Amino acid sequence: MELKSRLLRAATARPGVLLAVRPGATRERLFVEAELVRRGWPCAAGPASANLLVCVGEATTAEDDWAERLWLGIPAPKARVTASAVERAVEALDRGRADLLSGAHQHHVGRHEQTDGDLHRGHHEHQESPDPAPESGRHTHDDHNSHGSEHTNGSSAGAHQHGAHEGHASHEGHNGHAAHGMHGDHDMGVVAGLPMAARADDRDGLRLDRLHVPLGPVLADWPAGLVLRLELQGDVVQQAAVERIAAPITARPPFWNEPWLRASAGERVARGDAARRLCAAHLDSLGRFLAVAGWDDAAAEARHVRDRALAGVAATELTSSVVPLIRRIRRSRTLRWLTAGLGVLPSEHAHHLGVTGPALVADGDVHGRVLVWLDQIERSAGDCDAPGTLGAADVTGPRGRTDGANLPSQALLDVLPGLLEGAEFACARLIVASLDPDLDEFTWAAPPVRGPADD
Amino acid sequence: MTDPAPLWAVLALPAVLAGAAWAVASFDAVLGAGARAAWPGREALRLLVQQPRRTRAADVPLTRLGSTLLPVAAVLAAVVLPLGFRSVSDLPEGIVWFNAMEALAWAAVWLTGWGPNSTLSLIGGYRFLAQGLAYELPHMLAITTAALGAESLRVGDVVDAQAGLWFAVWMPAAFGIYLLSALAMSFWGPFDQPAGRDVAGGAAAELSGVDRIVFLSGRWLLFVVAAAFSVPLFLGGGHGPLLPGWAWTLLKTAVVLAFLVWARRRIPTVRMERYVELAWVVLTPLAVAQALVVAVVVLNR
Repeated sequence: MELKSRLLRAATARPGVLLAVRPGATRERLFVEAELVRRGWPCAAGPASANLLVCVGEATTAEDDWAERLWLGIPAPKARVTASAVERAVEALDRGRADLLSGAHQHHVGRHEQTDGDLHRGHHEHQESPDPAPESGRHTHDDHNSHGSEHTNGSSAGAHQHGAHEGHASHEGHNGHAAHGMHGDHDMGVVAGLPMAARADDRDGLRLDRLHVPLGPVLADWPAGLVLRLELQGDVVQQAAVERIAAPITARPPFWNEPWLRASAGERVARGDAARRLCAAHLDSLGRFLAVAGWDDAAAEARHVRDRALAGVAATELTSSVVPLIRRIRRSRTLRWLTAGLGVLPSEHAHHLGVTGPALVADGDVHGRVLVWLDQIERSAGDCDAPGTLGAADVTGPRGRTDGANLPSQALLDVLPGLLEGAEFACARLIVASLDPDLDEFTWAAPPVRGPADD
Repeated sequence: MTDPAPLWAVLALPAVLAGAAWAVASFDAVLGAGARAAWPGREALRLLVQQPRRTRAADVPLTRLGSTLLPVAAVLAAVVLPLGFRSVSDLPEGIVWFNAMEALAWAAVWLTGWGPNSTLSLIGGYRFLAQGLAYELPHMLAITTAALGAESLRVGDVVDAQAGLWFAVWMPAAFGIYLLSALAMSFWGPFDQPAGRDVAGGAAAELSGVDRIVFLSGRWLLFVVAAAFSVPLFLGGGHGPLLPGWAWTLLKTAVVLAFLVWARRRIPTVRMERYVELAWVVLTPLAVAQALVVAVVVLNR
């Protein structure tokens, strides 16, 4: 027993953390990310390799379903915590670790989390009932709390074969139960309770399976709250539709646009603070992009510099850490070779769709957009301690004009489906990362014009 | 001609390889900012206590077969790998054997990607097949060039042929191509797309617990074996002054591995849709030209 507990202690010393970030929780995400780096806890790419599910931000009942699916996909030993505010994040992580050790988590979560009984039950009914595969009798319907992992978790399987159903394919793209109604749409036969994929011509005229895969809302290095409903053939995106998960509306301005929104509301905001926020915002986007591009080293550096910028280091010091990073990325011929020609967005088209930020300035491909970020990072790092206040005319935040008829990120979301069609999966992810829409913008109480809360 | 190895070498081989893979993984971890050498061990322990998980309608035996095949293929390939001048078995067609075992990885990754019935892991499987198409052609030409230079498919003969001059010196293109394909065949480093983070781990996306350890450590093993095989093929194997043969082999292998691990941190992941063009339009003709030069030299010897 002693040996067992010591083994468990050593094994969970660095739990794999799956971050489920809700829209509107950027401040908390940044804090938790920095804390995880400090602790040396790895961020899992998906539920299979995770131990600890950390939900970042305030929960709403509407999202329980995707969080629940995610939770079921994580193999035991596992624990789930919510970091709803920066002040409570450290304590939440500590509690997660303690729950992992005690093994009490499963019951704890099953009974006490916000999940209301109906949703919970409905979910399991859906998961279990159409599952005729008696694979091994290794699980019963009762033990799902402690062995969510062994459940066939509609998830992955669902995403593969099932038309409009869901899945975690991408770690839960579930937005509610509406999609279940679509079961009837399939007449292709059923395997293990999952309808077979339909077929259609691909770009070379071959008849191939078309898989309907929801991507998001929880995926490593992915904009929080974004769900892309993809139609895939092989790994080529044939169609993409953008959705957002429901999020509570708050009075707190979105973190990255905060200085400009405050300034336009008549508050005095130092120009230096705005430059600092812009610099950090682009460094955050850059870190995400580099991680998607598979350049972990540079991504970690970008995130480190981002945290320094937010911690308030002096402009000269910030510049001296920004310059080598930027030079390294700008000079990388491999990155240019790999990202040139992807996701081309001419400026007329961007303008037409209402894009006002770096994506408009770049007037080109993924690589061009990254270069615009680099320029702006370099410039704003130097301005971090600039005197003066932000004028009413300064309205251009990290993703575009904050005073426009449209939210800056709404325009970026509008651009996405067109750019993604025909792209390979890896390219699609790079395109999304190079635009990096910020869904926090939709959670603010008084944006100029709000898009529909949910499509 | 290499000396025959004692029988216990058969048992020692997997252990030595595992130790080497562990060391390389630790070295890789240390290079990361704020990381510590103990992390790969901790990570293995973490996965060890994890329960297996299953996706719906998964083909579990297929997945297990795939993930187990990977380390098995790596160890089998290492049978012809000489330490100094001794390998576990110096087969007359050692180079063909090595290539055949390495090609087993194709099946391993594809089965692992297909089995869980999950889109992301399936994409990982697809990616490795595309990768195979891209790297295998120049790779085969590169190892054929080394065999041509020694006029033998026996690894021991290839090492003996380099007693004077290393093949890397007069076949630099083949050596470079071999290093690229060593990374690609072990889908490690800049060629890690089949298990990429952008597809939540790709072929490994649905693996947890022991399955995951077996698969991922299989990848490290394959990486170490593929990189180590460049030493007998191009870097003169155990040949070198002063030190005994085994020490030279270890030293050269360590240098190659350290170089690859270091280089990985300097470049992003290479996507096959771009690499295949380079592989077929530039690397394949280059490898053919290299083989031609070597053939002419050998004929005039």
